[in-house]
Amino acid sequence: MKSIQAGTLESMDCLVTLTEAPAGAGIKIAITGASAARFKSAMEKKIKETLAELGVKDIEVAVQDNGALDIVLGARVEAAYARLQKEGAR
Amino acid sequence: MRRTMLYLPGNNPNMLTRGHLFGSDGLILDLEDAVAMVEKDTARILVSKYLHQGEFGKCEVTVRINGIDTEYWKDDLAAVVPAKRLDGIRAPKVDDAGTVKILDEEISRLEDKNGIPQGKLKLFCLLETAKGIWNAYDIATASPRVAAIIPGGEDLRADLKTERSDDSTELEWARRMLVFAARAAGVDPLDTVFSRVTDDAGLRKETKFIKQLGFAGKSIIHPNQIGIIHDVFNPTEQEIAKAQKIIAAAKEAAARGQGAVSVDGKMVDVPVVKRAEYILVRAGLSEVK
Amino acid sequence: MTINAVKREIPDYIEGYGKVRHYQGAFARTPEGRVAGAGLRCVNSDKTDKRVSSIKEAIKASGLKSGMTVSFHHHLRNGDYVVNMVLDACAELGIKGLTLFPTALFGVHKKVLEHIKSGVVTKIMGSVNGPIGQYISEGGMEVPVVLRSHGGRPRAVMAGDVHIDVAFIGAPTADKYGNICGTLGKSACGSLGYAFTDADYADKVVVITDNLVQYPAAPVSIPQTKADIVVEVESIGDPAGIVSGTTKVTRDPLRLLISNYASKLIEASPYFTDGLSFQTGAGGIPLAVTAFMKEAMIKKGIKGSFGLGGITGYFVELLKEGLVDKLMDVQSFDLDAVRSIGENPNHIEISADWYANPWNAGAAVNMLDVVILGATEVDTDFNANVNTEADGALLHGTGGHQDTAAGAKLTIIAQPLLRGRIPCVTDKVYSVTTPGEVIDAIVTEYGVTINPRRKDLLDAVSGVKGLPLVSMEELAARAVKMSGPTDPVATTDRIIGVVEWRDGTVIDVVRQLKK
Repeated sequence: MKSIQAGTLESMDCLVTLTEAPAGAGIKIAITGASAARFKSAMEKKIKETLAELGVKDIEVAVQDNGALDIVLGARVEAAYARLQKEGAR
Repeated sequence: MRRTMLYLPGNNPNMLTRGHLFGSDGLILDLEDAVAMVEKDTARILVSKYLHQGEFGKCEVTVRINGIDTEYWKDDLAAVVPAKRLDGIRAPKVDDAGTVKILDEEISRLEDKNGIPQGKLKLFCLLETAKGIWNAYDIATASPRVAAIIPGGEDLRADLKTERSDDSTELEWARRMLVFAARAAGVDPLDTVFSRVTDDAGLRKETKFIKQLGFAGKSIIHPNQIGIIHDVFNPTEQEIAKAQKIIAAAKEAAARGQGAVSVDGKMVDVPVVKRAEYILVRAGLSEVK
Repeated sequence: MTINAVKREIPDYIEGYGKVRHYQGAFARTPEGRVAGAGLRCVNSDKTDKRVSSIKEAIKASGLKSGMTVSFHHHLRNGDYVVNMVLDACAELGIKGLTLFPTALFGVHKKVLEHIKSGVVTKIMGSVNGPIGQYISEGGMEVPVVLRSHGGRPRAVMAGDVHIDVAFIGAPTADKYGNICGTLGKSACGSLGYAFTDADYADKVVVITDNLVQYPAAPVSIPQTKADIVVEVESIGDPAGIVSGTTKVTRDPLRLLISNYASKLIEASPYFTDGLSFQTGAGGIPLAVTAFMKEAMIKKGIKGSFGLGGITGYFVELLKEGLVDKLMDVQSFDLDAVRSIGENPNHIEISADWYANPWNAGAAVNMLDVVILGATEVDTDFNANVNTEADGALLHGTGGHQDTAAGAKLTIIAQPLLRGRIPCVTDKVYSVTTPGEVIDAIVTEYGVTINPRRKDLLDAVSGVKGLPLVSMEELAARAVKMSGPTDPVATTDRIIGVVEWRDGTVIDVVRQLKK
């Protein structure tokens, strides 16, 4: 299964790793780092919303967080997914 | 006012979130030199999200796209033009009027496509080659979109086959030329960056110099430079008081049907009044006409 | 259970702490009775040398037994060897069940964790941080940690809430009869202000020095009349960790922005006149505020009266330039401060009692005009939390937060609204250290937020150029909008930390984290 990253570990950023999953596997999310203790629900919600907008149903998402706001988290997920698709097209 | 336009690296969430808080007149969300080749895609998405969110206070918001000689510039424009909070595009490596035309066409196409009024987005042209400086007036007049022209720094030095000196002698003629071209075309001459971010005294000296040349402001790479530049550009209290006196006298004279009057024994004619008006605009006490 | 004056539900009895006196307001509790004290001693001319050969011998001579209370000062900061040396020796002597009563602990003391695990230390009254804070927060100790302010600690000793059996005092310079000097020697730390109360009230005082000089040592911080035992060791600390080098003002634009707003607030306040007194501490923002204030003081020709608290080289500069008249120093942070307190008679060493104790005939904080503080978080009632981190773990001591806030006429908390994603303004702080009753303004990168209680201040700063005013409602709304909703901290019911207000009442408790 292909895996790809987007983002950084700089302050207020996060590193998102997307790994392809077989059809029917659903969305699996793992969050570690700065905001994990108090913002896990909000971050999971943002990730799911972003994936829904992109039409993704089956994928593994790993986030290493260093204080990313929702806007950044969404941008990194979207960027990682675009990279994954570009890889796939090759 | 465009006294200070602050570059924000396009892949840096911290600066994109907080950049507008430091009080610069404008922001430049940078997709070009501040972003590594391998991060052009992620930065473009991030910058686009921030522009859609539109939390930039009162700043004039621009994006520096990649040059038209790269594979990125059209994607850059496509990602940022539809955003609700964008005032202009800062284009690098503008060498001649032809470059402006190419950019103008693509921006117009995207404005149409996205239901944005034609000509809403301004163009801020970076003249980073000897050829660009030579063509400064043609560039400034190539499209009504052009709002400002800006000389290059390092790129221009390289093109001139010289290098940086402490007092930037090598850029002096380019700066003078650019001010003339911009003022002749009725656009803003904006200066290049001062890269020694901890050299406050050096920045103050350079800002005084470029203000004296006629520049309307400066591009900056660090928030700590804002206060110093505003301090140089802001009129002093004496200047403001004198300007107010002149405007008042001129108004009174106009009401009495007189052309010229004298203030403190000095002749006040049209250029003097104009300069006084400009001082009040810079002091934030009068609207731009 | 009782709901106290900051709306916290606190049990009336806490296992391992005892009966709770509930917080009823910042100035509600008044003392009764007499000052508690040490036993009388008698030393005659047959004893002219108090030295013993080792720390172990000193412990034996002090009569320290299992179950007793030992105290330490934190003037050697992150360079301190004394706490570790003494506890190691206690462990080797088989002493167990000690109550540790430090004025503060630092990262260098993480070894205490081993002594907690092995039962040498079974109770801590004082700040815990780093791995110790985490361990205790996860339920590692049988009894709760008691957190007191720099003023609350001497109050507790003088009121008899805490009795110190043996005080171990790291001394940069001392003589064989126990005169102590803080400004000389390879481990010089300047003021010894936090050690004074311990020297006054402990049953036995052990002086540990690495610079033994001929009798009498001078200048004297703590005199021989307090000292029972003297022991010479190779080194009491690492100078690199004791004092920092020259303190420089930050160039971080976010901190400078916040500092600039805080300084403008002070300038616009009614306190910015000749005789101004202030405490700003050593953090990035407070130091930058001092720098901005200095500019403003010169520009407007204002001269201050005194600077208080932890003193840096920057304050020393203000003293030298005549911008303040005196420095009242409870802790000297850097080499310049250490040098100055040794040389300049206008740079005064003060004890923690003098500095901040609410129960004496008047502490220095009462004379403060302005204090700049930080906080982990502040809530919409302006209550501040400095003890726990966002994840609910104990991380910081109270320091002088409560005391200066209660004393100063203008208490400012200056802090970025966001640290990463974590906002410093919330609906309800996780634990209350200092009540909103004594906090006047919050300064963030979005501007100044004035406590509505201070209408006079709001009027004074309204319309000041370049000083945005943000209401608490707006600020809280912005924080939520940017950060999103927070998940609650998962805890058990067990109390692992008791936060005392400076008067000894319980303002809040901290509960054990669920792993």
